[in-house]
Amino acid sequence: MTRRTNNSLTDDLLRPVLETSTKFYVSTGLLALIVATGFGTWFYQIYYGLGVTGDNWPVFWGFHETNFVFWIGISHAGTLISAILRIVNATWRRPVTRCAEVITAFALMIGALFPLIHLGRPWLAWWLIPYPSERFLWPNYRSPLVWDFFAINTYLISSLLFLALPAIPDFALIRDRTTGWRNWFYGKLSLGWQGTPKQWHRLESAMHMMALAIIPIAISVHTIVSFDFSMAVVPMWHSTIFGPYFVVGAIFSGIAALNIVMAIVRKTLHLEKYLQPIHFHNLGKLMLAMSLLWGYFVFNERLVTWYGNTPHEMAALWSTQMGRYSPLFWTMIFFNFVLPFPLLAIRKVRSITATVIASCAVVVGMWLERFLIIVPSLSYKGTPYSWGAYLPRWPEIVIFSSSFAAMALLYLLFSKFIPIISIWEMKVGEHPHIKVAAEVQEAEAAGELV
Amino acid sequence: MSHNWGMAVDLDRCTGCEACVVACHSENNIPTVGATEAARGRAMHWIRIERYWEGEFPDVKVKFRPVLCQQCDTAPCEPVCPTYASSHSEEGLNSQIYNRCIGTRYCANACGYNVRFFNFFTPSWDKPLHLQLNPDVSVREGGVMEKCTFCIQRINAGKIAAGLAQRPLKDGEIQPACVQSCTANALVFGDLADPDSMVSKLAKSPRGTKLLEELGTKPKITYLQQGSWDDAPNK
Amino acid sequence: MTGMYGLFSTPELAQQAVDGLRASGVPEHEITIQSSEPLEEYRFGSRDRDTVMPWISVLGAAIGMATGYFLTSVTQQAWPISTGGMPIVTNWTNLIIIFELTMLGAVFASVITLMFAARLPRPLPKFYDREISNGKILIGVANPRDIERVERALRASSGEVRMMGTEL
Repeated sequence: MTRRTNNSLTDDLLRPVLETSTKFYVSTGLLALIVATGFGTWFYQIYYGLGVTGDNWPVFWGFHETNFVFWIGISHAGTLISAILRIVNATWRRPVTRCAEVITAFALMIGALFPLIHLGRPWLAWWLIPYPSERFLWPNYRSPLVWDFFAINTYLISSLLFLALPAIPDFALIRDRTTGWRNWFYGKLSLGWQGTPKQWHRLESAMHMMALAIIPIAISVHTIVSFDFSMAVVPMWHSTIFGPYFVVGAIFSGIAALNIVMAIVRKTLHLEKYLQPIHFHNLGKLMLAMSLLWGYFVFNERLVTWYGNTPHEMAALWSTQMGRYSPLFWTMIFFNFVLPFPLLAIRKVRSITATVIASCAVVVGMWLERFLIIVPSLSYKGTPYSWGAYLPRWPEIVIFSSSFAAMALLYLLFSKFIPIISIWEMKVGEHPHIKVAAEVQEAEAAGELV
Repeated sequence: MSHNWGMAVDLDRCTGCEACVVACHSENNIPTVGATEAARGRAMHWIRIERYWEGEFPDVKVKFRPVLCQQCDTAPCEPVCPTYASSHSEEGLNSQIYNRCIGTRYCANACGYNVRFFNFFTPSWDKPLHLQLNPDVSVREGGVMEKCTFCIQRINAGKIAAGLAQRPLKDGEIQPACVQSCTANALVFGDLADPDSMVSKLAKSPRGTKLLEELGTKPKITYLQQGSWDDAPNK
Repeated sequence: MTGMYGLFSTPELAQQAVDGLRASGVPEHEITIQSSEPLEEYRFGSRDRDTVMPWISVLGAAIGMATGYFLTSVTQQAWPISTGGMPIVTNWTNLIIIFELTMLGAVFASVITLMFAARLPRPLPKFYDREISNGKILIGVANPRDIERVERALRASSGEVRMMGTEL
């Protein structure tokens, strides 16, 4: 087998950082415009009040909260791929890890904006920070929203560090390959990294500890987000299934997002040699497993509710199965379960294109799932006189769309400044492993091993 | 001695006239949101008369029930507020502290009775309507939750008056606006900690039930009705 | 001259060079090795002892746990506000905050320890060559006592020998 020279690998993966095309500038400009529109709409909403949205009595939560849960869910991609596969030493993860970790970091940032967007008085959001205030008042630690604050911030900080640490050797690489402002900039970012065995050992040790820590953090984050719903005695919310249900849904939507992003990166940055069909195959299989698991949870939830037949819950249930929200529900089932199944289960069909189509469907389906958890239950809560309905208005739709543009923009900018595939980790993947045994035997025989 | 404020609503007396709704609006500076906003479902009636009817005219059967904040002992709206804007007072009331509210609306979602309302816009009163505002009650800005307070300003005024006169509070001396305006005397307000008060006696009445008791909220409002709600329309 | 190093294009040659240097009497700790990837399968790349880093992460987690416990229970008692009939100090819910701060403590401890142990951030020492980023492995000796023997050992393994400060 021909061994790729380290230089060609480095050249290919550094090219997006060192060369900029017109397409980059045009895309950045367009996306920045859409994001600016989103921010403008947010400020319009702050100025005039939340009344410009479709929220009402009793459906006080709608698009903004759906987007919050959706984006936090998307952020679970990176952790699964990076941390779990790192710990079990799955070598196919190498080109994929940084792509995934970047999705996590940016999806978290976007998701964490939505609690601010949905507040009635967002300029007071800093009251959630626990500090000794002159009012002697601390946050209410019994509230799931305060748990959200702690969990999401912990996850965000950990993810950013998890992303930043293995980037240091790559910054050193760029430092050595460039001159001028790039040399200075990446010189500062690489913190004087030399690459001594001691440094490598320490870095890998730190990555291992962080991978071990970040998996429970990620699981706890979406469980805590699910607690925003399950802690309230609202029809179809107050269920013990919500914790695992949300985590599985998050991983599901995260892998779907990763597939889409990887396919785009592969095409636009010409990385076909590195992001190979095998990666999409493996992620496709994982997504299939998640689809089945997700279907299992949905079935569980619905069967138990239907069988129990409590009047408190039946109106909400029927509205999703046969009533007002049923078109959305059945679309969701089709996109999350029916469509991906043949595309991913049949090996001959499971190509990169098929995986991406299935992933797009899953992203739409999972967004619908979040919406269908929130809105029908609130519409049919309490005494029938107080039931209501919800339709979004233009501010919610604009902010929703611009969140996708924000993700694309952040990703684009990232891939411009930092190699989207971790170069040193790819190089490690090229090493033959048999050498260790032979050398160690030799050394033992010669009595040299300390 | 610590009070424990409660209410009894006699469904056999209520005529559904909605004088209580109007009185509550005037007393508590509740904005009227206008026709467009009301059509969007943003009306803010701290007390509302829920109407249920069946049949066609002239054989219509109507049932109605005044619903207001039940001041639950184990209120689901209280633990979920991240900033302690919704908490339990020592006199058994569920306090809504406007200054502390950042508008997450979680309390409204957690409330099983849908008695919490949100200021989607900052209300305004064109002159000279601003003169109708009650100086004892604050005006809330946009982004803040509000709900029935059992007219805490009247409770405080009554306690202060009794304290100044150095006498204990008399039963029926404090009346929230809805209680005061009820034409049929269907609403009774008083101190559940006082065994001799009218509301304590009515709370033990065999005609008494609690609304959505199965939610486990321990509401403090007793609804009185001969027979059951499900059987017959209000007589 | 303050140092001499050789650049080697494969890990096997680098290993040879390290062996050669040791044979010519250079003590282990004076040999500098730098590479653009971890080479822990090779003996020269794995000469480190196990670190105490994992235990420091556990210590960080313990500090986080204590912080979470005190932050929640002390502040809840500082101004006791009754909500929903729940007790003032709600241990079940405080566990969530305690968990998050425990994990955060572990993460911070790992990162801070890395910074100290890998001696980052620091200015790039003079003992460095940009060729490392082209895949070469640098094996060198600072202030060598016997320059000729060092040079011979490096050349014997087909290394590109350079003096410090003369990078091209």
